[in-house]
Formats: sequence, C-alpha cells, structure tokens
Amino acid sequence: MNREQLLFKNRRPGETVFLAGYRATGGYQSLQQALRDLTPEALRQRVKDSNLRGRGGAGFPTGVKWNFFPADQPGPKYLVCNCDEMEPGTYKDGELLLADPHQLVEGMILSAFALQTDIGYIFIRYAYAQQAENLRRAIVEATEAGFLGQNILGSGFNFELHLHSSAGRYILGEETALLNGLEGKRPNPRLKPPFPAVKGLFGRPTTVNNVETLANIQHIVSGGAEWFRALALTEEGSGTKLYGLSGHLNRTECFELPVGMPLRQLIEEFGAGVWRGRKFKACLPGGASTPYLTAEHLDVALDFDSLEAVGSRFGTAGVTVFDDRTCMVAATLNLIRFFARESCGWCTPCRDGLTMVRWLLETIETGQGTPEHLEMLKDQLQQISGNSFCALAEGAMGPVAGLLTHFEQEIIDHLEKGRCPFQ
Amino acid sequence: MPTLTIDNQQVTVAEGATVLEAAEQLGIIVPHFCYHKALGAVGACRMCAVTVVEGAQKGLQMSCLIPAEAGMRVTTGDPQSTSFRARVGEWLMLNHPHDCPVCDEGGECQLQEMTIASGHGIRRYAGKKRTYNNQQLGPFIVQEMNRCIQCYRCVRTYQDYCGGRDFGVLGSRDRVFFGRFQAGMLESDFSGNIVDACPTGVFTDKTYRFKSRYWDLQEAPSICPHCSLGCATIPGGRFRELQRVRSGINQKTNGYFICDRGRFGSGYVNHPERPRQLHSRGRELNLAEAVRWLDVQARELLEQQGPEAVLLLGSNRASLESNWLLQQWAIDLGCKVPLLSAHIPRHQAAQVAAFDFSDRLASLEQLRSSDLVVLFGADPLAEGPTLALALRQVVRAGGAVIVYDPRPLELPCEFDHQSLTPVQLHELLSAEKGPEIDRLCELLQRAAQPVLVGGGDLLGAGGLLKLKKLAKRVSNAERACLLLPLLGAANSFGAALLSPAEQDDLLTRLETGRVKMLVCLETDPLLEAPQGERFADALAKLDELVVFDYLPTPLSVHASLFLPTCAPLETVGTFVNNGGRMQRFAPVIEPGLPIAVTGDGDHPPREFLSATPGDEPRPAWQLLQWLMDDRRELSQLHGQMVAQLPRLDGLTELRPGDSGLRVRNADERSVIVEDLPEQPAGTLQLLVSPARYGSDLCSRFSAKLTPRFSPAILRLNPQDAAERELSAGDPVVLDCDLGSFKFCLQLSEQLAAGCALVENSGAFPHLVPGDRLSFCAVGAEVQL
Repeated sequence: MNREQLLFKNRRPGETVFLAGYRATGGYQSLQQALRDLTPEALRQRVKDSNLRGRGGAGFPTGVKWNFFPADQPGPKYLVCNCDEMEPGTYKDGELLLADPHQLVEGMILSAFALQTDIGYIFIRYAYAQQAENLRRAIVEATEAGFLGQNILGSGFNFELHLHSSAGRYILGEETALLNGLEGKRPNPRLKPPFPAVKGLFGRPTTVNNVETLANIQHIVSGGAEWFRALALTEEGSGTKLYGLSGHLNRTECFELPVGMPLRQLIEEFGAGVWRGRKFKACLPGGASTPYLTAEHLDVALDFDSLEAVGSRFGTAGVTVFDDRTCMVAATLNLIRFFARESCGWCTPCRDGLTMVRWLLETIETGQGTPEHLEMLKDQLQQISGNSFCALAEGAMGPVAGLLTHFEQEIIDHLEKGRCPFQ
Repeated sequence: MPTLTIDNQQVTVAEGATVLEAAEQLGIIVPHFCYHKALGAVGACRMCAVTVVEGAQKGLQMSCLIPAEAGMRVTTGDPQSTSFRARVGEWLMLNHPHDCPVCDEGGECQLQEMTIASGHGIRRYAGKKRTYNNQQLGPFIVQEMNRCIQCYRCVRTYQDYCGGRDFGVLGSRDRVFFGRFQAGMLESDFSGNIVDACPTGVFTDKTYRFKSRYWDLQEAPSICPHCSLGCATIPGGRFRELQRVRSGINQKTNGYFICDRGRFGSGYVNHPERPRQLHSRGRELNLAEAVRWLDVQARELLEQQGPEAVLLLGSNRASLESNWLLQQWAIDLGCKVPLLSAHIPRHQAAQVAAFDFSDRLASLEQLRSSDLVVLFGADPLAEGPTLALALRQVVRAGGAVIVYDPRPLELPCEFDHQSLTPVQLHELLSAEKGPEIDRLCELLQRAAQPVLVGGGDLLGAGGLLKLKKLAKRVSNAERACLLLPLLGAANSFGAALLSPAEQDDLLTRLETGRVKMLVCLETDPLLEAPQGERFADALAKLDELVVFDYLPTPLSVHASLFLPTCAPLETVGTFVNNGGRMQRFAPVIEPGLPIAVTGDGDHPPREFLSATPGDEPRPAWQLLQWLMDDRRELSQLHGQMVAQLPRLDGLTELRPGDSGLRVRNADERSVIVEDLPEQPAGTLQLLVSPARYGSDLCSRFSAKLTPRFSPAILRLNPQDAAERELSAGDPVVLDCDLGSFKFCLQLSEQLAAGCALVENSGAFPHLVPGDRLSFCAVGAEVQL
C-alpha cells in the first residue's frame, strides 16, 4: 500500500513546523506555481477534476461547491475555514494544526485565489489554543514572506487572512451557524436558501470549507488531479485522509492514509487491534454522528460511497471502536447526551426531540424500559430524521439508527432483564 | 399568481405566498407557532408540516417556508403530516407545566389550541421537567418561563420588529431563556407587544393579572386615544372596569403592534376621581333638568346679551360626531360658530394637515414601505410612538431615516440626526438653495417613495406649509412625495376638518368680558392649551362655566354645571387620524362604577340597587342631541354630516374594527401665519416637548404608567450650560412668559445649541407643547 504523506509529511512527535521547515519540503511552491501558471478557473477545474470531497463530515465535492460560488462578482467575498472541530472522536484538524499550520495557510491562499476572494477567516474553537497560537504565527510569517497581503508574489492578487477564536459550540460546525457566530450574532443556523455562496458572511458570497479540505488544495495543484485521485484505494475515491483512531484500541492516534482503507486493516495494523485482547463489537466510522458499523462490516472500504452503501457515513473518518464488553445502549446514550446538550435550541425536533430520546435511552439503560419505550424510540428516529432545521439532529440520530438496526436485541435484553446486561 | 391544490381544493394565491398562507386562504389552518404575519416565517417550531405530493420539494415540508408553486399538490391531513405534527405537539409539551387553571393565558392560549389541533393528547414523557427562575421585568409584564415553548416570537417582536435591546435569547438547547441579562424593567416603549406575541402564558400583562378570564371579558374594536396616529386597539373590560388593552390589527395604521402608552395608559377610564356625577353649583338638578336648564339658560343669555354671550368650545379629544353636534347646537341657539380647539397653534397646524396636505397624506402602511423618510421637528416616541416602529421597518427593509430636530432623539433604528434649532429648521425649509437643502432635495428626488414627516408642535402651521412646498419640489410625474403630519390628539384632524377657516382666539374673546357662558366639550384649556394662567384669570369674567368631560380635570371642579360624559371606549364614535383616516370605535364597557370598587376589593356587593352606581356619564353626542331634542339614530346623523360635508363620504358605512377610510381631498386653505418672533439677545429658544408618558391627559390620569413618568428635568447643550456656568445636576430656574419654573439640569450633546428643552407632563402642566416659538432665560437657582 502506498503511504504517501501529504498533510502529515512534516509531522514529528512534539514538534511544530513553521515557515522554514515548511518551505524546506516544498511549501509555498504550489502557490508560486498557481499564481504564475494557473487562472482561477483552471485552478477550480483542477480541484473539480481531483474529485476532492469535503473533509468536514458531509463529503460534498469541493469543486462542485466552488462552482456555485460567484467568483467573478465584484465587491467583497469571503473564504471561511471551519475549524470548530468538536465532535466526539474527531480530532484530525487539531493534529494537523499542531504539526504544520502553514498547510492550512497555503491552502487558504490558493483557495482564495481560485474563488477570487480577498478576505479569509479561520474560525477556530476556543479549546484549540495551541493551534490558534500556531496559526497566528504562521499568518505573521506568511505575511512577512509576501504570501499574504497586497499583490501577492507580484501577481496582483490580494488576500488578508484573519483568525477568529470563538467561544465555540458544536453547532458552530454548521456553516451558517458559524457565519452568524463570526458576525457576533447568536449562532443559530440560517434558513437556506439563500445559501452562503449567494448570501453568506455579512450578506456577501461566502464559501466555508474544512481545514483538511483546504490543506489538500496545494497538493492537488502540485501533483495534479489525476495523481490525487490515484492516491485513493477505491475507484471513485480520491486523495488521502486523516483517520483519527479512538476508543478501545491499543493505539489511538491520527494517521494519514489513503481514502478507501479497509476497516479491518485500519484496526489491526494501525490501531494495533482491539485492546485487552477483546473482540471488536462496533465502531463509529466517521465521528459521533455516523451510524455504527459492526463486525460484519470489517472488510468495507472506508470511503464515502462504500460506507453509504452499508447504511453509514464516512463523515470525518474519526473511527471510534467499541469492544465486546460495551453496552451499546449506554454508548448511544452517552452520544445522545452530547448532542442534546449541544443543540442550539432553535428547532423543536432537536431541542425537545433529543431530550425525549435521551430520556427513552436512560429509561431503557436503567432497566425501567418497556416494549412501548422501544416503539417510541423507533418512532422518534423516524420523526426526527430529516425533519429538523439543520443537520445536527439528523446526525445525532445516526448512532440511534445504528443501535436500532444492529443492536435491537441488546435493547430487548435490557427490557427483559430489567437492567443493563453488561453491568 | 400560482394555482395549487391543497387537500383537493384549488386555490390561486399571490406570487411569493407560502403554502401556509395559501392553505389559510382556503380556510385550512395548519397548526403553527413561530410563524406570525408581522414577523414572518423562520421554520423553528416545525409544527406547520404538510406533505407535498407534487412540487419541487416533495415529502414532508414546513408549509411556512415553501413558496406556493403552480401545479403543486399538498395534503395536510395525511398520516405522515398528522403523525409528525402530533410528535411536534408532544415535544413542545414535554416541559410545559399543567398550570392552565391558574394561567392568565387560559382561553386565549394558542398553545392550547394548537396542541389540540396537532393531535397530541397524552403525555408519555415521564422525565424531569425543565424549570427556570423567573425575572422581575417591571410593572407591566410578568414572566413565567416554565411555560415557554421556544417559538422565539417574543424576541423577534421585541428585538427585531420593535428594536428593543435589553431583552433577548440566552442559553441554548432545551434551556433557552427569553429575558433580560439581569432582572429589571423592560426599557422598550413597545414592551407590551410581547404579551400579544407570546402564544402561551410566558409573558402576560401584569396590570391585568388574575383579573378576568378571556371569555368573561367584554371586548370591542377601538381606536387608541393617546396620540394622533389612531392605532387599532382591542380594550377589554369586565364588571364596568377597563382591565386591559391589546393591539388591534389595522394594516393601514399600526399593523399588529402598539406602544406601551396605548396599552397601559387606559387607567383614566377607572380613575378613582373620575367625575361620574352631574354637579351644578347651587342647584339641585337631575340630568334631564340640567340639560333643559342649560338650553334655557343659553337661550336667555343670548337673547339678553347678544350672540357673543355664549361660547362653545369643542376639542380634539371629542369625537367627530360630538364636535359636529356642537356646531349644530350653535346654529340652533344662534350663537357664534364654536371654536373646536383651545390650542390655537395646534389647531392651525391641524388645519394645514386637514386641508393643504390632504392630496398627499401618507398612511403608516405607505410609510413602512418607503425607502426614505425625512422627519422635521418630530419626536416619534413622544408624539406618535407607533411611527417610530414604522420607521424601524423602513430601515430594516434597507431604507433610510433622516431627522431634523433640535431634541436629543432616540429611535429604535439607525437614523441620521441633524440637530437644528426651531429657527434653523424654518430657515432650512424656507431655503431655495444651500448645501444642506440641495443635498436633501437630491436624496428625496432619487428616492422611490419618499415621505416627509412634520411635527405640528415644533413646525407650527407655517413650518408645515413650508414642508408641503418641499414635498411639491421633490415630487415628479411618476410619484408624489407624501406627507405625514404629527398632530396634537386623536381627533385633531377631525376637529380641524370641521372648522371654518377664520377662527377667533379663545382668550381674546373671553377677555372682552362679553362671554357670559362658556361650554367646554371634553377639553380643559387649563391643561390642554398654552397660557393656562391667562385662561384661569379669564374664567372670573364668566357667569356660567359648563363642562362636559370624562376626566377629573381641574376645570371640571370649577364648573358651575358639570355633565359627565362617556370615555371614547364607553360609546361609539369616529376619530380622524393624522393621515386623514376616519375610524369608528365601538363601546367596550358601560359607564358606571366598577364592581371591584364598590365591593372594596372583595366579593361583589350583595346589596341590590335599582340603578348602576356611577352610571350617569352619557355619550357627549347624546347629551348634545338632547339639547336639540334630536332623537335620530347615529347613522342618520352620519348621513346628514356627509350631506353637509362631502369630504366625509363613507362615514355612514364605517364599521368598528375595519381599516377606516381616508377623507376626501380638499382645496388648500392658506392659514395666515405669523412671522417668527425676533430672539432677544442672551435668551434661549424654549422647547416644550411632550413627555413620552403623561403628556396627553388620558395617559396622565393613568396610574399604571406612573413608573414611566419623567422627572422634572431641563436639558441644555453643554456649550450653553458652560456659558451660564452651570453643570449637570444643578438646580436651575427657567424664566419665560409663562412664569418661573424650577428644574434639575441635565446636559445633552445632541440637543441643538441655543435651546432649552423641557418636557410636558404632570410635573409641569402649564408648559404645554405646540405653542408659538418663545424664548426663555435659564440661570442657577438662587438659594436664599
């Protein structure tokens, strides 16, 4: 297997690479190349050809998203980097910024050039203090080196980049809530349409991309679309992915591996197997909002389409593994508590529906459940999914969907025994 | 105009209408919470789900968000929609307490109605309910947050629509809290609207707390009497007590919301000292005898001492019908034409509005859709608060507001304030050329639908006439520049419309000594006209002072014959608002002492009387009809009024609660305007401005508003204060024609230099706004 390292190529334990180290491995050459040889349209086309899909969780093709953006419209337009990474099990962007912050800075300059925006914001959650510090320094270095500011490298292109450390909540990962937060407003998601590409930050056209997505751009520029696509192990996939391992594994680290890694190989080879010699029971393949995979899915390739085919999602590739002594009702309750707490309180299915689901799971887990509660849980899943204002409640119901699909018998055991069978 | 099918019924709706609105047009009410006609749709509550069978977005959709499309097929009663709505009902009710029996909203609770409509019945959630600590929000509004279902209507009303800044959303998830950062009185002058907007009992009217159930209230559509805008209100009373006022809906005027003065300023109706009994000095008369005595006495005086012996005075508080009947009685008696206002400058300004402005009067609805509104000498929050709300909607829609005014104004929106003294205001309006007027004319000419607002009090008739010239100058073939005057009282326009062009001055006539009997119809010149002291002196020359009123005014005490009349909301009548809109109000309660008063706060009395205590007040128009032995129905009177005054066309057809009707246009009537007086050296221009609360007599006699009454403050520009070696907080004396008054000094940068600003309220009743420009001296109070 090819283990091409793009984003993590400068990553050393306990070290952060800044401008000198970043340039030593070819940093900012893509920027020079693009400003010299490429038009914004050509750059957008190359990203589209690369089939890069958004790394923030939804997996929307970046090139398609950029095509919606009115790059030629005069007046202010914004590029916003979403670094409000706080879903349980997802920590890849944090790792990237700890290792190599210029990856993001260069990626943003190139993306801004492609989209012809002259102002960019990095929206970072408050807990990423060291990452924010790294970015601040990287922005200063890039500005001093002439990669940011007016007339970048004599090309006539201007771009200023700001870092916004927010008070941050999970909901700010929703791009329109993020824009409200950036404007200093209450971070409720906005009504769509209009989409941010039409009316985003301060009412102007805006594109919001994830850290990892943006950091891939310079590699697509230097390597080309064909090469980038060939990095993936699946036919339809492209590029590499930062897999963040967590849960009941012997090694819980973040690795840059090709898109399309088989789950079994990821767990056995990179996660060094399930801890304490126990067996694999289930995992969240892409963060807390993705439905569970079970042992029957161990040979599934970790990519967007193949995971959707088995009823889950690739999400952020934050893989959380549960061993065979885990109560899946308790695990799901733990996740639902997070989502119910992080609801912004705007729409009813999320604000009150998740409260209801939390109560149902608590009732079942504490052994007070009846078959009626199981029916209610199924009904809640059906009614909440797809009917909330934004994707938060939908994502929150991902683990519940997985629980009901793969572990209904475990729920019935709770009901019949009148207690949690794992305690 | 798309045509779509909802529940197998076809409907054609306006472009841009939503499916929810289309269904409503068919009479199908899809349950909803966060959608509100004035606030729009936000898609938060998810209650209005319907199923789109054919259309761009199929499946379960929120009907408030999706536009109606041609050929769309929608069902509202299918299993998918109904089961989802039932679930939303259940979710919303998770935390809602079972306190309906003690909740003031009971009976008019949209949550009760919509929960039933949603199909949710039995609570299955047995978890812990979320609870809150409530905040004290001041004297007008009670908060009970446990009842909240998070529809966000309150905050969308308070912040977005009304521009209040001290109330908002706090917290997140199922602990979202709607309130202030800290407990305290809500600062907005439109705070009461959250009571109307809240679909359940989170925000209720504190002044109405535990008084009545909605279904026990007597309610009727009425017109707010507190300013000249004529907002629609729905007062509610029970046991002859006026208990609350809520907003009516009239798109042509207020829209959906009213101000706190209108909502909480109704205490005058039940004022403990309201004169409810006829009194006649030295004579024992019942009502019928008193009316007969008045008629006989007036005729005798006229016969003996000539047509000037009896002077009839109408008012801008009295209805159009009462004022007209007063004129009829004068004809009947053969005395001189009645004066319809004691406040001559205000009356002249109203005449300019009623005649010269009549071809280009704007409604508040037109103003709300304007892209540029320029105000001259107008303080909307004091002189017509709902205008301030309308201005906010202009700014929210991307329009601009410019204000030329000497006062340090506040508005609930962004605006450009040019601080000019009254003299400078007149100069600006008279200027043919100059940088400021050129800039303004250019802006106005470019605007798609400009409106000029003129404060009658500050500009006077002369200033309003200049404003009309400006409006003409910036009008073009495609569109006229509209005008909106702010006038003194609810029926200023109506009184001016009835008046002949030439009018004498009340004081001059009284001071000749030829007037022996003065009849005041619902007015007290002591409080409602400038130079009250001169009027008080002139009263000594009268043999008889006859007062009709429903307020405990000082004049009613002086009267040799006092006839108690009904408050506007105890009878029927018509007011004409500042935009020339005739609006009918209906009787809400009967006059009479409230039972709560006679029962001393406990159980209603067990003594039964043949008559209602305190029910002597009669509608003023009825008393006037008795004087003329006129037994016609009001509708017949209306017919005669229209026949005499074709401008009132449509008066007969007006119904309470409808949107009213504009009076017909009239020819210009150029009032003779005096030149501005010369300013003596060393003086300041005296600005007497109405206080936001307590300037109109109805709100002054409303104890509920006491917390809002302003203290006795005089404001100066810091520059003027420095010249006089005064600083903020100093006790100062203001010397003017009306006498000397003591104030506490406050400084204001925004106040135009060269002006002294005082507010008219109960604290200084002799300083009445709207008088001719006068000058004053301000100095430190000499401590003896």
